Amino acid sequence: MITQEKYRTTVKELLSNGTIKMAIGYKPGSTPDRRRPLFIRTLEEADQLVLDSTCMTNLSGYLVTEGLLSDEKRVGIFLRPEGIRSINILAAEYQLNVDQIIIFGFDSTGREVRPLQGRNAEDFTALLSEIKENPPVIHKEPLLERIEKMNAKERFDFWQEEFSRCLKCYACRQACPMCYCRRCIVDSNQPQWVNTSSHTLGNFEWNIVRAFHLSGRCVQCGNCDRGCPVNIPLRLINQRMAKEVIDGFDHFAGLSSTQEPVLASFKKDDTETFIL
Amino acid sequence: MAKIGVFICHCGENIAAKVDCTKLAAAMGEHPGVAVSVEYKYFCSDPGQESVKKAIRDNNLSGIVIAACSPRMHEATFRKACAEAGLNPYLCEIANIREQCSWVHTDKDMATAKAADIVRSMVEKVKRNNILQPIEVPVTRRALVIGGGIAGLQAALDIANAGQEVVLVEREPSLGGHMAQLSETFPTLDCSQCIMTPRMVETAQHPNIRLLTYAEIESVDGYIGNFKVRVRMKARYVDMNTCTGCGDCSTKCPVKKISSEFDCGLGKRTAIYTPFAQSVPNMPVIDKANCIYFKNGKCKMCQKSCQINAINFDMQDEFIDLEIGAIVVATGFQIQNTALYGEYGYGKFPDVITGLQFERLASASGPTAGKILRPSDGKEPETVVFIQCAGSRDPSKGVRYCSKICCMYTAKHAMLYAHKMHDGKANIFYMDIRAAGKGYDEFTRRAIEEDEASYIRGRVSKLWLENGKMMVRGVDTLLGKPVTVVADMVVLATAMVPQPNAKEFAKTIGIAYDEYGFYNEAHLKLRPVESSTAGVFLAGACQSPKDIPDSISQASATASKVLALFSKEKLEREPVIAINNEATCAGCWGCVLACPYNAIEKKDIRDRSGKLIKQVAYVNPGLCQGCGTCVTFCRSNSLDLAGFTEKQIFAEVMGL
Repeated sequence: MITQEKYRTTVKELLSNGTIKMAIGYKPGSTPDRRRPLFIRTLEEADQLVLDSTCMTNLSGYLVTEGLLSDEKRVGIFLRPEGIRSINILAAEYQLNVDQIIIFGFDSTGREVRPLQGRNAEDFTALLSEIKENPPVIHKEPLLERIEKMNAKERFDFWQEEFSRCLKCYACRQACPMCYCRRCIVDSNQPQWVNTSSHTLGNFEWNIVRAFHLSGRCVQCGNCDRGCPVNIPLRLINQRMAKEVIDGFDHFAGLSSTQEPVLASFKKDDTETFIL
Repeated sequence: MAKIGVFICHCGENIAAKVDCTKLAAAMGEHPGVAVSVEYKYFCSDPGQESVKKAIRDNNLSGIVIAACSPRMHEATFRKACAEAGLNPYLCEIANIREQCSWVHTDKDMATAKAADIVRSMVEKVKRNNILQPIEVPVTRRALVIGGGIAGLQAALDIANAGQEVVLVEREPSLGGHMAQLSETFPTLDCSQCIMTPRMVETAQHPNIRLLTYAEIESVDGYIGNFKVRVRMKARYVDMNTCTGCGDCSTKCPVKKISSEFDCGLGKRTAIYTPFAQSVPNMPVIDKANCIYFKNGKCKMCQKSCQINAINFDMQDEFIDLEIGAIVVATGFQIQNTALYGEYGYGKFPDVITGLQFERLASASGPTAGKILRPSDGKEPETVVFIQCAGSRDPSKGVRYCSKICCMYTAKHAMLYAHKMHDGKANIFYMDIRAAGKGYDEFTRRAIEEDEASYIRGRVSKLWLENGKMMVRGVDTLLGKPVTVVADMVVLATAMVPQPNAKEFAKTIGIAYDEYGFYNEAHLKLRPVESSTAGVFLAGACQSPKDIPDSISQASATASKVLALFSKEKLEREPVIAINNEATCAGCWGCVLACPYNAIEKKDIRDRSGKLIKQVAYVNPGLCQGCGTCVTFCRSNSLDLAGFTEKQIFAEVMGL
């Protein structure tokens, strides 16, 4: 509660003195454990701000809303460490100017919420490096360990079962801060590479394309997972891909705003286990 | 409405023996959009091509599919025929039913069915082909030769003598490479220095050659005809414009005990030095790591001794940017680290030396002025054991290949030893004598018959010291029993291996290499001097172990390739380039980073009042090489490749 009050005051202060034109945070949702995004433009709106352990959504995706940052004014945003990594990736992919973003960082252990020190993305580099070295327990999934132990056939069956529920609603895409393309590849129908129907082939195509498009970019914020109306454990796929890029290229997505995208960049000491 | 012509070639019996061409032609005639479907024995022949042209004209075809051999064989032929018949050449596709079908299958029915699939998929592709025009790019008529050994010198001289500009970059302070280190050369026993140094001088004085020594390639960008190369000129600390090469500085230098690289550690040099007396350019460099001034801030003896003030301790590395049309890579080799051979005692016994060290001992300009003296006590060795294949043809040490030159130079060593030490005894352990080459077998026979070298067919297992003598134990496989011979000196014919930084360097210039780090040619038999990258050619031992005649032949071959390239003012390039859909481009610039040719730029999209709306990727058609890397990277599918558009590929796949 103290953190929430402090941040309300800070947001009001920064709005009043014109440092930021808007702050993006959380307000109560439809149930006590749900939060919905809050766009604070006035001091009154700031009073609706809620900050507690149930504020899970990674809000960074709202920053790339077309036109939001084009006036070059600053916007404040409430972010967990994963959200800060998203900001870095969006900056590295030229989707936003990191100088325009004021970060209200927070994290939670159990029900307790604590603020993170810093205002600009670069202030959090040490924190993110620490997370890279010692990933929080939240990223250790018992289900992932179970899947790792499966053989190829069992794994395929597992995902076929999970994907069979996929409706192709693309909520995962809409929820993901990394899916900022003006036209998604699934919406391109000349040719139609990804089947739009919800059958095995189409479901696999979509989810595998998503996994590749997010490899080296996913920060495991869980937006896709929470967004999925049929509870497919989507984060596990991306988490596995994140492990691949860490192991293969020592690439921890979103460590800094100048990090080169892992799939587009080339280093002389990249491993070449696959080249004969 | 598509009007596609399908032309099914028998290729004599090559295709017809395994594919029922008549059946195939009939089946293809039924395919939607196919107006003509015919078969013929040899479509690549003159009447064959004429029939294709006639069919195009008579039926007003909108595209053709030639079902025949690989497009690498005859795509150009049939595109030309298309153009002659008035059809855009890029509306011609080749369905490969020879290499990818008839040659690899035995069941005729199944092969015919597969051929139908292949042809059908190409028909579906060609229906979606667009008219394309070739792209013309200018050629910079200036060659870069990397490496100043014999291969590099030969390539540079050949190109320069043909009237074209050459920039020759050498990493070391002097030209010469390994050949300058050799004593006499097989099979004629002429002195290496005597035939090498005049070429070094000729290179340095040639009006068409710009010589950059003590320089390294920093980066290579661009593509055939239009490379941009950055060269790092390492600080020599000696002003090359004023230095006269008098050598006073080296004489005064107090650091005199540095092991000489040129003499393979058998001689000493100073901290300010020229690698050898005949160095070109004959100007010293300061070895920063060993210079007292750079270590302690005091000394400057060389500067004080220099009467024309050519020494400048403040000199920094400098960069030179070059526009280059073609690159010859002639970076040479090194000899394998002998530490791998504990059983031969290299490093443990001072009188176990490498073949290259023996060259220095035998060389008139070497540390012993050409006398064969053993390193430990300077005495003349009465018996010498030569061990061939010390590293080569030994998978357990990581070298499966034959180093090619060792049989010859070991025979030469035995001869030189016999000529200098008339009573000396040379024993040579060998696996096979490989002396294929003009005058080579005669040469090894001479070593055996005239100079009485004793060849023992077998490997050496052990080497130890007994009463001050080295004992070499091996097996004589012809007698079928172990032998032990005494040796005053042992010479190891160590393997030729790639330069230590060969792989790194290949990545800098963008060429392919094999498992060892030797550079890969485009085709082992048919294109042995071209690298996998257009406009980059390979000469000498950087490609595989080679002797001097081979290196020179290959170097001259690269020169002819470079000159052929420079014979044109413009290069015509395939119009296979990436095109961006600006409406859907998200501007993430992944493509900019991924493009190996720096062909993608940022383009501003503005509204009518000039306000910047967004930035999108723009592919420069002059720079794009059509590799497709950006297309595969683009998440929003905005980039597409002309000639291989997603629509075409999709249709091709769905046609199967």
